[in-house]
Amino acid sequence: MSHRLPAPSAVFTALVFVFLYLPIGIVVLNSFNADEALLGWGGFTTQWYSQAFSNSRVRDDFVTSLQVALASTAISLVIAVTAGLWMRRASTRARRALDATTYMRIVLPEVVVALALFLVLRRYEIPLGVPAIVAGHVIFNSAYATLIIQARLATMTDVLEEAAADLGASPVRTFRRVTLPLLMPAVIVAALLTLSFSFDDVVTSLFLGGPNAETLPVLLLGLIRLHVTPEVNAIAVGVTAITMVTFGLAAAVMSIRDAAGVRTGQVDPATLEAEEAK
Amino acid sequence: MVSASRSPAVDPATDAPGRRRSWRVALLAPGLLWTLIFFVVPLVVMVVYSFGQIDIITFQTTFGWTLDNYRRLANDIYLHTILRSLEMSIGATIGCLLVGYPVAYTIARQKGRTQTLLLLGVMVPFWTSFVVRTYAWVNLLSNDGLVTRALRGLGLESDSSQLIYTPTAVTIGIVYTYLPLMVLPLYVALERIDPQLLQAASDLGAGWFGRFRRVVLPLSMPGVIAGCILVGVPATGEYVIPAILGGDKTLMYGNVVANQFLKVGDYPFGSALAVSLMLLVTGFLLITRGRLARAEEIT
Repeated sequence: MSHRLPAPSAVFTALVFVFLYLPIGIVVLNSFNADEALLGWGGFTTQWYSQAFSNSRVRDDFVTSLQVALASTAISLVIAVTAGLWMRRASTRARRALDATTYMRIVLPEVVVALALFLVLRRYEIPLGVPAIVAGHVIFNSAYATLIIQARLATMTDVLEEAAADLGASPVRTFRRVTLPLLMPAVIVAALLTLSFSFDDVVTSLFLGGPNAETLPVLLLGLIRLHVTPEVNAIAVGVTAITMVTFGLAAAVMSIRDAAGVRTGQVDPATLEAEEAK
Repeated sequence: MVSASRSPAVDPATDAPGRRRSWRVALLAPGLLWTLIFFVVPLVVMVVYSFGQIDIITFQTTFGWTLDNYRRLANDIYLHTILRSLEMSIGATIGCLLVGYPVAYTIARQKGRTQTLLLLGVMVPFWTSFVVRTYAWVNLLSNDGLVTRALRGLGLESDSSQLIYTPTAVTIGIVYTYLPLMVLPLYVALERIDPQLLQAASDLGAGWFGRFRRVVLPLSMPGVIAGCILVGVPATGEYVIPAILGGDKTLMYGNVVANQFLKVGDYPFGSALAVSLMLLVTGFLLITRGRLARAEEIT
């Protein structure tokens, strides 16, 4: 089949790729454009980057973004791993119920979910800010993380854990020495994805940050609506680079995991021996 | 996915049932508590608010179980904005389908490395920052932007008009941003089609259009529906893309809801708008889920 490629659809696909890359390409190009009005190519410069890096608001917002991303990822992972382990032994009905709440957190419009939280915080006069953003990000991030962890757990048998328990390992030790290592690839993928979702989020960060906390994408949104400057392009490229690296790493880990799929699911005798020795 | 039958095995770690149960509750607690406190309770509060009333002078909310907020929603201005917003999200979903289908088909017909590279090529733009992806179109669609100038050159756009801050700009932005979410499920469905079926159709005298309409399209229906869900649902509640490419002129549903909370401060009416949006999305999902199940049964 591969040689009977219909020419029109191949040409169309090529055009779509131009459509996909041209806009971002222009942003990257303009971030190095010395022409301040961005009307044409004014020569190569890195001055917009140095301007952006020395801008204290950009640096503060970067720190805020990082705090939010790390906190929401840590909490989401705890929720995902515990929920996943609980689901393994839950009845079908209980599992369906929890599955439904997981899906709802993803499919309901983020605008609605974030505004509902905003409403409650306003009503009880709880200040907006970083903790509020984290609370909001964990809602969807923990749902994505749960799906990833669950998918991994579904492919794992509990033979190893039973063996560890038979050999006298406590539940905590069994989890730490057997379950968690087996889950690790999924935990890493979930961590990278939630980090980038959180770092990239606008809606929840904008609504729940209030005047007290601003993340980089929220700053960018404000700057764009004000007017476009070359510095905005430099910040945009910086933000994009961060999200792209985390997403790319997640994809890389996933494909490594796929390639080594059989191996990671296999009995690791060393673990068992180690447990036996204790 | 999770449905793989797993016998309710006895937890080997402990024998005391009481201790086991407390362990299990401890595992359920973090997720359940977070979901209850930050998700379920706020949504319930929002539903209650949507039946409340706000005093315009004191900004005090009273709860009288009135339907006024929902009646106001049927008001001309809001209904018009909401319908136009839905038009944009439906248009963008169809746009994604029309653009994404040939791409997914082309990728599905490739093999090995080429296929992986093309798939990656579709996915990589999706990894870039969401705001930046939308922002990238500000340049192109603005008055002296590349796309506007090209359209003028072709005589498709008059000199005075500009594309940015129009429904067209917002629709283009949504198609651009969500295209990978359409291509992936389409690719999965198309890749599964046995080439021998096409060969058989060909032998029986079907032309390329006949093969497409009678074989490829019906077999790819699960992908089409899944793609429309993945694009249509977020597009309906979109906020960022219209905020950037629609300016103050072209608002979508999500922006109207947010404005009521953040700018006007009318929480009861905002809640009624939000609850309606939620019902709309849930209704769409329930309908398409049934369709998806049926389409998967056929293939």
